[in-house]
Amino acid sequence: MMNKSVTAPARELDEALPFYKPQAREVELFEYGYRHQLPVLIKGPTGCGKTRFINYMAARLGRPVYTVACHDDLSAVDLVGRHLIGDSGTYWSDGPLTRAVREGAICYLDEVVEARKDTTVVLHPLTDDRRILPLERTGEILKAPPEFMLVVSYNPGYQNLLKGMKPSTRQRFVAVRFDFPAPELECEILVGESGIDGETAQRLVRLANAMRALKDHDLEEAASTRLLVYAATLILGGYEPVEACRAALVEPLTDDTETASALMEVVHASLGR
Amino acid sequence: MEEKVGELWHRLITRLAQDRYPQAAVCLTELDKTLGILFRALGGDGGLRLETAGATHHHARRGLLQRIAGSATKIELAWRDEHALRLPEVIDLFPQQSLNRDLYFWLAALASGEQGRVEPWLEKNQRLTRETLRRYPGMAGRYQRLLKAHLSQRPDPARLRPDEAAQEAAIRQALANPGAVSHLAPARHAPWPVPLWLHPSPPWVSQAGSDSAEPENASAGEAQNLSHERSRRGERTEMPEAERGLVTIRMENILSWGEFAKVDRGAEENEDLDQAVEAAEQMEQFNVTRDGKSVASKLRFDLDLPSDACDDEVLSEGLLLPEWDWKRQVMQEAHCRVMTLQAADAQPMELPARLNRTAKRLRAQFQQLMPARLWRRGQADGSEVDLDAYLRFATERGSGQLTNADNLYLDLRTGARDLSCLLLADLSLSTDSWVDNHHRVIDVIRDSLYLFSESLSATGDRFALYGFSSRKRNPLRFHQIKSFDEAYSARTRGRIQAIKPGYYTRMGAAVRHAHRLLDRQPAQRRLLLLVSDGKPNDLDKYEGRYGVEDTRHAIHEVRKAGIQPFCVTIDERGNDYLPYLFGSGGYVVIRKPQELPRKLPLLYARLTRE
Repeated sequence: MMNKSVTAPARELDEALPFYKPQAREVELFEYGYRHQLPVLIKGPTGCGKTRFINYMAARLGRPVYTVACHDDLSAVDLVGRHLIGDSGTYWSDGPLTRAVREGAICYLDEVVEARKDTTVVLHPLTDDRRILPLERTGEILKAPPEFMLVVSYNPGYQNLLKGMKPSTRQRFVAVRFDFPAPELECEILVGESGIDGETAQRLVRLANAMRALKDHDLEEAASTRLLVYAATLILGGYEPVEACRAALVEPLTDDTETASALMEVVHASLGR
Repeated sequence: MEEKVGELWHRLITRLAQDRYPQAAVCLTELDKTLGILFRALGGDGGLRLETAGATHHHARRGLLQRIAGSATKIELAWRDEHALRLPEVIDLFPQQSLNRDLYFWLAALASGEQGRVEPWLEKNQRLTRETLRRYPGMAGRYQRLLKAHLSQRPDPARLRPDEAAQEAAIRQALANPGAVSHLAPARHAPWPVPLWLHPSPPWVSQAGSDSAEPENASAGEAQNLSHERSRRGERTEMPEAERGLVTIRMENILSWGEFAKVDRGAEENEDLDQAVEAAEQMEQFNVTRDGKSVASKLRFDLDLPSDACDDEVLSEGLLLPEWDWKRQVMQEAHCRVMTLQAADAQPMELPARLNRTAKRLRAQFQQLMPARLWRRGQADGSEVDLDAYLRFATERGSGQLTNADNLYLDLRTGARDLSCLLLADLSLSTDSWVDNHHRVIDVIRDSLYLFSESLSATGDRFALYGFSSRKRNPLRFHQIKSFDEAYSARTRGRIQAIKPGYYTRMGAAVRHAHRLLDRQPAQRRLLLLVSDGKPNDLDKYEGRYGVEDTRHAIHEVRKAGIQPFCVTIDERGNDYLPYLFGSGGYVVIRKPQELPRKLPLLYARLTRE
């Protein structure tokens, strides 16, 4: 049960709505999916707001959300639950997926391609019209209530040579693609999220887009909105802007010193010395 | 004597007229990676190469000394065309190195804003300067420093003729206040060049190659070297120009082909074995025969390299393989002869240094793939007592059952994967072609073999490396690089180094032979990995449909035997025939051949993942 974060149910409504700016019609799609019991697949690059979107939607719909960050040792048992040893013998402990099914919550499997292949065994019956979760160990068969919703996400660009989602799994979801927001929107997000002034936000966004142009060519991953928020937070906290960009945008993206110094040139060009 | 004096005079006057600072020079090669990244990040087209710009005549008025010395007629200016961003090879205009560096960065930033619009030089550069400064405020400090240094080097308007002075003043103003000057008054001489701006009239690429920049081209080799990957991409997208760009190389090939050309191979279409042998024996003579006249069109050229006898040691002869005839739908038994060869002159060697880094990374990745050590329960013998088993045993005995005290131990064992992989590389003559200016297909295959073996030796999976080429059906040359039973060693590396292109691609026979070798492997999972650069083909009827059908038949057998075949190709047209041979999931086309070495081990990892 390591490396797994189960967020506390966020039952509080509107006033606790997380900050989120829709990119397209994803909010609508998610609501349709929720109403018609369709599982949703979200794909997009790292740090573009997938997790935030789920939390926002969960708050909007007033459902608790169970987030599971998948890793390559995550097996079906970790999702469904297992027997534990207690004072008076063994007892059954629900995993996050089982708990979400019982409570009619949203279960969010982040980076689902990382999980072991045997997880598909439990995901398949939940994602078609049966909507059941058979608990092999206890002999129970849980029928998912209408409020239960399964959401998975993955990053298609990430190590896609080694990992991919099985087409048979992929075909059970309605899918929505996320990308980095358009510059104006990203500025708003930066301002809204960190509280930085509009002009600095614009410069940061321009810098990020300059660095995104280098993806696949010079960098493996594009500078994410999350990193931009970090940079903005550092700058707002009084950290020197160029150094903040080095710490939040350059060093996290590359280990190669030559590339890093070239990126610093881009930072200098965008922000000034 | 006269010559000596002349030489001294030339040296003296050149030095006096010298307005460059070689001691502060900055070379493009030092900065090319940084500049490339900057250029692309600021919006420059990622498909452009970074190349050195040849010097061009500037036709401006020169100083007296310079005129006497005959120097300073040319200047290297930067420009951008549809193929490349061209920057001076060396910048030594300013006495401080930092300024020369700054100029490189400035030019790259300036060029990144260029859209290729046709507009007058003066306006364009002012607009570009203004835009660059607006979009990248951080460039302002750099520009001011450069401007200050450059203005001090420009000719003094007070000492020029009135028309030239007006021009000079306008340029000075345009530099200091971009966008302020809309018109340049005509003058007798062209204005003094502005190295801070892009080239006023960039020469066309073809011109740069032919007239003015001949010596520069020679020295530009280094810089082109560094950007070969990009250049490749550019070539792929801009097809017609790419052909032109490659002309020098093609000519070279044509010349070398000329030496082997017009070989008379009358016995060509004959299927008779004896005659084929005879023809082979006569090959050496024919290879060197030159003949000015064209040969009959039905004869093909044979571009074969040294004859088999002199280079490789013959391991086994006379193994006969069948071949599938799709027209008659019959298997022709004992149709091809396989000759297993091993490079005789291969010296043990270390991994080439340029691959060290990638190899290290891949090894680390592959080590993670290796199954962890596991405690095996219920073993007859082992390092620890299996408490569960012992408890069961004790309870059963306590309850009066009579059980044997066996399988009560735990043992720590490596969970070796039961997997064998045979890599079969195509070494036909087509691998002698160039993928870019510096790499032939065979080089890429060689690097792939190196990295593949490095990676696999980290996992402990059993693997073998073979290469193949063929000269009709007798013989199929099957090069043993590493067999299953050999360990990967310096000797293996030597043999990888020794692979060389030759002959043709009788793929079906090679697959059948590999099939046989894999069949002897006891492993549960067996993988046949084929690395190729094109379709099956050979000199005889093994071409087109016949070759494809035979290969397909061989692959089919492989699959039936429970061996997983997989093809990695760098043939861009592979999508036409490979689905037919391997099925849609059974192959992959690598678009950029340079990526093959790095991708091959990763592909292997994906194929063998549980």
